Amino acid sequence: MRTSIQVEQLCKSYGGYQVLNNVSFTVEQGSIVGLLGPNGAGKTTIVRLLNGVILPDSGKMVLHGHNPVTDGDAIRRISGVVTEGAGLYHELSGVENLRFFSKLYDCYDEKRIQELLQQFGLEEAQKKPVGKYSTGMKKRLALAKAILSRPEILFLDEPTNGLDPDGVKQVLTDLKTMNELQGTTIILCSHVLHQLESICDKYLFLQGGCIIEQGSKEEIENKYLKQVKLRVKTGLSVNGGQFAGYAVQQLERQQLLFDLPSKDVISPLLEQILQQSWMHEAEIINNDLESLYFQVRS
Amino acid sequence: MNWGHVTAVAKKDMKGITSNIQVLIGLILLPLLFGIILPAVFIILVKTGNVNSMNIGELIEKLVTQFPAGEIKEKLLSFPTTEHQIIYMFANYMLGPFFLLIPVLNALMISLNSLVGEKERRTLESLLFSPIDLKSLFFGKLIATFIPTLAVTIASFLLCTIIVDGLTYSMFGGLIFPNWSWIIILLWVTPMLTALVIQFSIMISARSKGFQEAQQLGGVIVLPIIALAISQITGLVFLSMQLLLAIGLVLLLINIVMLKWVAKFNQRHYLFERQVH
Repeated sequence: MRTSIQVEQLCKSYGGYQVLNNVSFTVEQGSIVGLLGPNGAGKTTIVRLLNGVILPDSGKMVLHGHNPVTDGDAIRRISGVVTEGAGLYHELSGVENLRFFSKLYDCYDEKRIQELLQQFGLEEAQKKPVGKYSTGMKKRLALAKAILSRPEILFLDEPTNGLDPDGVKQVLTDLKTMNELQGTTIILCSHVLHQLESICDKYLFLQGGCIIEQGSKEEIENKYLKQVKLRVKTGLSVNGGQFAGYAVQQLERQQLLFDLPSKDVISPLLEQILQQSWMHEAEIINNDLESLYFQVRS
Repeated sequence: MNWGHVTAVAKKDMKGITSNIQVLIGLILLPLLFGIILPAVFIILVKTGNVNSMNIGELIEKLVTQFPAGEIKEKLLSFPTTEHQIIYMFANYMLGPFFLLIPVLNALMISLNSLVGEKERRTLESLLFSPIDLKSLFFGKLIATFIPTLAVTIASFLLCTIIVDGLTYSMFGGLIFPNWSWIIILLWVTPMLTALVIQFSIMISARSKGFQEAQQLGGVIVLPIIALAISQITGLVFLSMQLLLAIGLVLLLINIVMLKWVAKFNQRHYLFERQVH
């Protein structure tokens, strides 16, 4: 796989406050990367630096062979951005917003605009001023705006904020489809970690302007998941808080929670349970992204 | 410079003018006030003999005697009454500085709305993330201020011509308005002043936090115009064609100097770090 984004030793400060400190990472072309971290961790600053709209204090960035510092317009031509504030003109209608931005990106095509309005469920409201749109509609229009030019790199800052569950599902599906069909590299900043879990190939954990961990979910899980909590729905009865040598507690009727030293012991344990009773479900409950995020941060 | 981008920004901004009620009011109210109401009320008052109590007659007589010998003085002395002199002086010389408030205030409101508005509505971030170069962005905004400002100024001038000539034709037996000074005001001073106001707006928008604050700061630019109007009325300065040409030239020089300062904004990161939070 080719490298889409390469960042080395990136530093940025505002008024004496260090926002980013020696940040280094790479993003493979066609991958979806989740940029995770609390408010003020530096996620938005990274997006701004990569698009060449602000300058770094030091460090190196290369996006598709272009340096954002010296060749920002070339990057902005191949990238799409959804900012937290949506950045739409409220006095213009939805379709007028898309027409305006398509002209700035030199990709004006009425057919494409109508396709996107339909895809994001805004066909009927396209002539209404954006000021009268709901938060979800604005977000969907901002997404349509960002992908107008079929960008090679897409930066999304909290793209699902304000969307209802159906909207979230739709947006994530659309992003995944775009990534698979067009090979779009996607950088996602979000607080809603469980939403990212289903689509990201890699995660960058940011804290206080530093990358504290990065890798695929599997890599992070292998590194941080020292104790496995396994929830099992079974008819097995346990006494004394132990089964097969492992600590167990009764959660509710027919549900047990095992504390295991590693994932390797799961299969033998399940075999032993099945020898004594039925079993309908077994799920590791502490390897979801949110749990891993807090383990990385701790 | 990308003309497609320039046109897109200019069209978008001109469409947005109608969305700001303060800008819209300026576009309607100022031409009404300085193009119709002020000349109409003044001429009617003079014609009906209501100016004696205001001592304007004495003021005009004093002004006429102070005039250097020449075509204008001869023309004024050839009129049969003081009322004729007052109306002629008012329409052709005194109204000019007041009239200049139309392009100045409109250009100020439109450009501030366009520049500070992008920041307030958080759309500047979207613009700076797009591949538009800043020259195209500023040029688009400049056009979006210039076209409506000049259109309103010319429309106001035409309305003013109809009002002044309509009300004075029977009195003078011919057309007295406009003279060459007005042509210079329209085609030379107004564009220079509008350009200066736009650059001034860029300077203000970089410093102000919002539209209201920018408006208050912008109000400063009106003061020289008011001073010019007062000087003209009191006879301190006479806006001859030569003086108007010279004023335009000075404005052009100030524009050139300011352009160098404003060019500092032609750096995306400088604009972004100062304007986007």
